[in-house]
Amino acid sequence: MSEAPPATPLRERAGRALKDTFLQEALTIATTKFIDLRREAFDEFPEGEALRDRARAIKEATLQGLDHYLGLLIDNVERRGGHVHYATTAEEARQIVLDIARSTDARMAVKSKSMATEEIHLNSALEAAGVTPVETDLGEYIIQLAHERPSHIIAPAIHKTKGQVAELFARELKRETVPDPEVLTRIARAELREKFLQADIGISGANFGVAETGTIVLVTNEGNGRMVTSLPRVHVAVMGVEKVIPSMTDLAVFLAILAKSATGQKLSVYTSLVNGPRRGGELEGPEEFHLVLLDNGRIRQIAGPLREALYCLRCGACLNVCPVYRQIGGHAYGYTYPGPIGILLTAMLNGPESVKDLAHASSLCGACADACPVRIDIPKMLIELRRDVGERRIAPWPERVVFGGFGRLLQRPALYRLAARTGRVLQRPFVSRGAIRRLPLFFGDWTRTRDLPPIAARTFQERWADLEREGHR
Amino acid sequence: MVTCLGDMFYPEVGEKIVRLLRALSVVVEFPAGQTCCGLPLFNSGYHTDAAAVARRTVALFKDAEAVVVPSGSCAWMVKHEYPGLMTDPHDRAAAERLAGRTHELSQFLVKKLGRRRFRSAVAGRVTYHDSCHLLRGLHESESPRTLLRGLAGAEFVELPGGDECCGFGGSFSVRLPEVSTAILDKKLANVEATGADCVVACDAGCLMQMRGGLSRRGSRVRALHLAEVLGEPQ
Amino acid sequence: MTTRAEFLGRIRTQMGRTPGLFPAEPSARPARPRERLEVLRRELSERWRENLERFRHEFERVGGVLHRVTDAAEAPGAIARIAAERGLHRVVAWHGDALGLDVAAPLTARGLEATAAPAVEVPVAERERRRALAAAADLGVTGVDLAIAETGTLVVISGAGRPRSASLLPACHVAVFDRDALVESLLHAGLALEAWHEGTPPEGRGASINFITGPSRTADIELTLTRGVHGPKEVHAVFVERGLVRRHG
Repeated sequence: MSEAPPATPLRERAGRALKDTFLQEALTIATTKFIDLRREAFDEFPEGEALRDRARAIKEATLQGLDHYLGLLIDNVERRGGHVHYATTAEEARQIVLDIARSTDARMAVKSKSMATEEIHLNSALEAAGVTPVETDLGEYIIQLAHERPSHIIAPAIHKTKGQVAELFARELKRETVPDPEVLTRIARAELREKFLQADIGISGANFGVAETGTIVLVTNEGNGRMVTSLPRVHVAVMGVEKVIPSMTDLAVFLAILAKSATGQKLSVYTSLVNGPRRGGELEGPEEFHLVLLDNGRIRQIAGPLREALYCLRCGACLNVCPVYRQIGGHAYGYTYPGPIGILLTAMLNGPESVKDLAHASSLCGACADACPVRIDIPKMLIELRRDVGERRIAPWPERVVFGGFGRLLQRPALYRLAARTGRVLQRPFVSRGAIRRLPLFFGDWTRTRDLPPIAARTFQERWADLEREGHR
Repeated sequence: MVTCLGDMFYPEVGEKIVRLLRALSVVVEFPAGQTCCGLPLFNSGYHTDAAAVARRTVALFKDAEAVVVPSGSCAWMVKHEYPGLMTDPHDRAAAERLAGRTHELSQFLVKKLGRRRFRSAVAGRVTYHDSCHLLRGLHESESPRTLLRGLAGAEFVELPGGDECCGFGGSFSVRLPEVSTAILDKKLANVEATGADCVVACDAGCLMQMRGGLSRRGSRVRALHLAEVLGEPQ
Repeated sequence: MTTRAEFLGRIRTQMGRTPGLFPAEPSARPARPRERLEVLRRELSERWRENLERFRHEFERVGGVLHRVTDAAEAPGAIARIAAERGLHRVVAWHGDALGLDVAAPLTARGLEATAAPAVEVPVAERERRRALAAAADLGVTGVDLAIAETGTLVVISGAGRPRSASLLPACHVAVFDRDALVESLLHAGLALEAWHEGTPPEGRGASINFITGPSRTADIELTLTRGVHGPKEVHAVFVERGLVRRHG
């Protein structure tokens, strides 16, 4: 169990998000923009579909040889003078990073965007140990100042207005400023430039780990990934085990589709390949390089129902197209990873009970699977999670009773037809002007906002005899 | 296959389909004892019960040459999920046979019967909502459009965001009703912006959701099943 | 703490429980990438004009500015013009051997404060001094190891005489290249990456390779695009038609 469950129920969190008018507007603008950019990028990239199939195959092939590829990666990282550490749990991962920080006397750590470090709640552990973590990705920097968590996998501060950011900077940085993104960006650049140059330790994630060469790959736009991996004297990369890929030839396949899926760019501004610590003759580069391989629930899924979720590139495309995410935003999910893939990852990290409600935060529309660069069948796994919850009796008993009854009804046509006739009688008080507008109990969940058709005076089955006769005439 | 929603709530759609098929010289039979394809059970994770319902349904239709289904989601369930639910190899083979013979209505009309042109049963402007299971599950976006564009006496316009979910999602609509409604509101805003007189869908679930919202807001726009706009074949 | 054996052991155990979801292979790799890259380069040299044009189109699309000079001697003049137009004065550059031309002296002669990185290992105090210089510089000059036409990308390998900071810390980055750097696609770049990692790395090779596609950017605030977040705000590429003579890389 990695994360504590949220304090309020999902429906309440969703309700709050729906009432937040700025969030609603921000979500619509941002997700629509990402959707359009992605569509344009793939429209002018006909090889894209075949590359998606290739990318999916590479991910599956890697899992089929995971011990071999990780072994290669480890050997190569060590050959280049890097150190590799093995973290089975989030706790262990935190401990490893703290030990490295302690052994190098670090006081301040600059971080480039890493969902893996969010997942293990690294920042609070660093702070508690007297190491100041500074997020350097602009969006992460903003939410760090605001003491919030990211609300989108790649655009963490998408829920904030420029006015809110300006206020935040004024309050936390003691700088008067204007709600202008250019100005705010310049302020962040200056503040963070100092930190990059003074930091003792740089902490990053890894988008890929290339086994054949022992190379860690970071995909970024701002330049903070390069700073974090070149300026401080120690660099620590925290990488989920599923990020390993076999070769540089494979890397090219992923690079061709990753940025396009995330933001519609052909490539992100910087793709940084890290081959261990500084080599002789270089002016920059860390003296020490550490790779922390993270399990935290991933390894169990190699043979588990969520195996396919291990293909995830963390591009965020599924969030952008999800009708639920687009309405409620990231925070309402209540865990580190939001959106469709987020539900699967939450189950992976925290167990299926943690998603007994979240697994239903989906209309199963399938837009996510369509958008996913590696074609992860997210709806299928959501249904599996629901099955886990339903058949393992974790679902609340009234629901199990209703579905159990329904299941029996559907296997007994006489009972089914009786239910229709009974329903027709029971509904009478509620039918007005041809529709049902108010129903008691949980049925009211529909009728509060929508009308309902009444059960027909004669169902199709009841009309069939006449229809059959009509056909014979 | 009439489907549970079709049987209970939209029997007139079923009637229209029977008459339409007869007008196209198709002999229509209706195996008695139909209940539901089992999709609601499947989607909520009650797979043992869903499998039992699936077996029943396969048996009911075992002599059919072709099975026409008015809902994309039910057609998807039969074609896509039935075989995988069966553990017994005989059951699985029977399910696969049924899957091969099952068609959603628009697919049947256009791809099997080759009929594209009909008089429109409605006047004015018509738009189309792609139901998720038909669009992404059965990869079908053309057949309904072929039919709607071919309507004599009505004008077809594309719906912006037509491929976006209407918010029904089965039990989702009552588990997270506020979210479902917010998604629906977005859909209906798009529908009203087209100036269409009606929005057509090939799924009873989508229709229940959209009609429910349109009716509640007193809209003059109607949500109709494809069968309700197809008049005489031409 | 978990050991390597325990960690990989658990993975192996899980792998043993499943054959996987479908038969799948990783990408086929070239047997002798360095050779293949040479062959590719020869082929591409016939099409360099088209590839340069495509590069220009994509480079400008991501906010880069392309300049052309006929020979290497004209490059410092182009760089000085870029600096003058923007009121920039302090320049840090790769070592002349890595660039294929000396820029520090000609730029200094034109009144700029220009330093080139040393080509050999220097003590930590000197490295820190140089870093401060780079941080205070407003223009950085580097070479280019690969220019990818499909995406408008400049690829730079770090090493002795090729500091990472030159393309990262100053607000303006100027990259000097010739037709030998041009490749068409990311697939070609993949081949180059295979080739560069084949066998033992050459003397002076560094630990960092960067693909640079335009100036640093973010859209984290209300999705409004701003440039020069942490990295350079401007990226220029100077194409030398008659070519550069570079040592190592």
